[in-house]
Amino acid sequence: MNEHHAIAPTLSSQDIEPTGIPVQGGHISALTSESRSNVEKGYASLAIEVIGVTKEFDGGAVRALNGMDLRVERGEFIAIMGPSGCGKSTLLHLLAALDSPTSGTIRVEGQDLSHLPDPSRYRRQTIGLVFQLHNLLPRLSALANIEVAMMGSHRPHRERTVWARQLLSELDLADRERRHPPQLSGGERQRVAIARALANDPPVLLVDEPTGNLDSDASANVLALFARLQREYGVTTVMVTHDPAVAQAAGRILQMRDGRIGDPIGA
Amino acid sequence: MSTIVLLLSNIWAKKARSFGLAFAVALAVMTVVVLTVVSSGLESSAAAILKIGKSDFTVAQKNVSDVLFSYLDTHQLAEVRATKGVANAVGALIETERINAANPLFLEIGLPLDELTPFGVHVLAGRPYSANATHEVMLGWRAAEDMGLHVGDGFYANGTKNTIVGIYSTGISFGDLGAIFPLSAVQAYNRVPGAVTLVFVKVAPGYRIGEVEKRITYAHPELTTIRTVTQFGRADRNLVFLKAAATGSTILAVVIGAIVVGNTMMLSLFERTREFGLLRAIGWTRTRVVSLLLGEGMVLAVVGAAVGVGLSYLVTSILQALPQLAGVLHSNYTSEAFWRGLYTGLGMTILGTLYPALRAGFLAPLQALSHE
Repeated sequence: MNEHHAIAPTLSSQDIEPTGIPVQGGHISALTSESRSNVEKGYASLAIEVIGVTKEFDGGAVRALNGMDLRVERGEFIAIMGPSGCGKSTLLHLLAALDSPTSGTIRVEGQDLSHLPDPSRYRRQTIGLVFQLHNLLPRLSALANIEVAMMGSHRPHRERTVWARQLLSELDLADRERRHPPQLSGGERQRVAIARALANDPPVLLVDEPTGNLDSDASANVLALFARLQREYGVTTVMVTHDPAVAQAAGRILQMRDGRIGDPIGA
Repeated sequence: MSTIVLLLSNIWAKKARSFGLAFAVALAVMTVVVLTVVSSGLESSAAAILKIGKSDFTVAQKNVSDVLFSYLDTHQLAEVRATKGVANAVGALIETERINAANPLFLEIGLPLDELTPFGVHVLAGRPYSANATHEVMLGWRAAEDMGLHVGDGFYANGTKNTIVGIYSTGISFGDLGAIFPLSAVQAYNRVPGAVTLVFVKVAPGYRIGEVEKRITYAHPELTTIRTVTQFGRADRNLVFLKAAATGSTILAVVIGAIVVGNTMMLSLFERTREFGLLRAIGWTRTRVVSLLLGEGMVLAVVGAAVGVGLSYLVTSILQALPQLAGVLHSNYTSEAFWRGLYTGLGMTILGTLYPALRAGFLAPLQALSHE
């Protein structure tokens, strides 16, 4: 089965822009094929590299990360576990360039986050963020919530709509595109949030407690989706959670303690 | 979804606030447009006096509070007439009088009989008044039509009952809304023998108007010449004060409007802090966030400006219909009034929105996302 068509099952000639570029996205096609290649090569290169990162708050009174090291291969799906306040979310924020480390180096897809010329562009093109509280805009439809993430990209407006529809379709939300977040179930909202995170075709997904507000069935669906994204498309996924059952969905589980990564718990 | 659709949906999502903001803009624009069209109306009405004589320029006393308070004596008039390059100079005594409620500022012109033709007066019906008549008047055809008067009817003005001996036309609508009396009769009634208010000068062929003006003002520093509406302030200080008041009110309206808009946008910023944090977190640039908020403001400004112009029509119509102001206020809708209204709306919105928009753009995404 063609994996590319699995995420865009009905890419037809009508979906081809006059330029000849498939509206489903030249970028995602390139990404997924590259990522597949990485999967086949056994994660040949690093997607994320964290070297001796320290993050202090309140002028050094609180040290959330303490000389942390982490290496994540391309196409890997890892879960980072730990109790509240151990620095999981801080790590995620640093990886998303939403905050900067006190010291140390972070590289994501070869980009040194301390020297990003345009952090917005990095957040738009390199990573997809999934929040615990989905953070969808309530006055916009599911479709529009995904399209909003693509504003500022070079995709033409019509292409953005087609691609957002394809993502919704792939996540079994095709019949929900006009619904607004308050009209969706918790699981549906989180899937829309995942679709939004994938909208710009990022090679890395950063996921923060994705099932925190979901029932067990919805949680299982969402976790299966992450596993599928990693397995079929080679999307590098870093998920932080405090729930061991949720972490089981990942290929590698790391325990955080005292602002550092401990030994892997399982694979 | 395009950016404009997002922008409109944001506006629509907060209907009451958007309406309030647009209404604030509309009120400011309405104030500015009303002041502009009214002051412009007064200016054009006042300046219309200058056009009646169909002259190249008009000579008046410098810096009087009202151009109708200008005073030139026989000697000055003679010297203007004798100035090199002057082909013809008609001295006219001009005043306004309340005739009735519909004509609170009725125009009355005193002209010598032999100056009627140079002044551009054409008799349409009846005859011209006699040279030294004391109870004869010629009525402009518009005034006659408005008041339903004809040749032979009585017309009470200048403190006496006059007989309408003729109906005239000057080709200038403002002039045709008044009456012309023998100069001596008006001078006698006002107890200013030999005085005229304005001198209407026609320049002889081959002479440059500017040069002739200079000669007159050089020889008579107490006099000024007026060729265009914008030069009217040289003689009429009231108009200068009125225009200054209109400009001051415009600035005040912009400042007050900007404060109202800024206050509303700040409220919006606090309410939507999480939204802006989210947009930044998913890759929106600062510029895009700032543009979004500015764009929302601009749309409301344009809507407010359009409503404001509509309201200004309504308000000026009401003002003109008020018994106290009937015949005094004349609205003059020029393109300048519309542009000024639009600039006011956009200006106050940009001023009011810029700070909240910049604040939104420079929010730290993490802090914004944790905002309650």
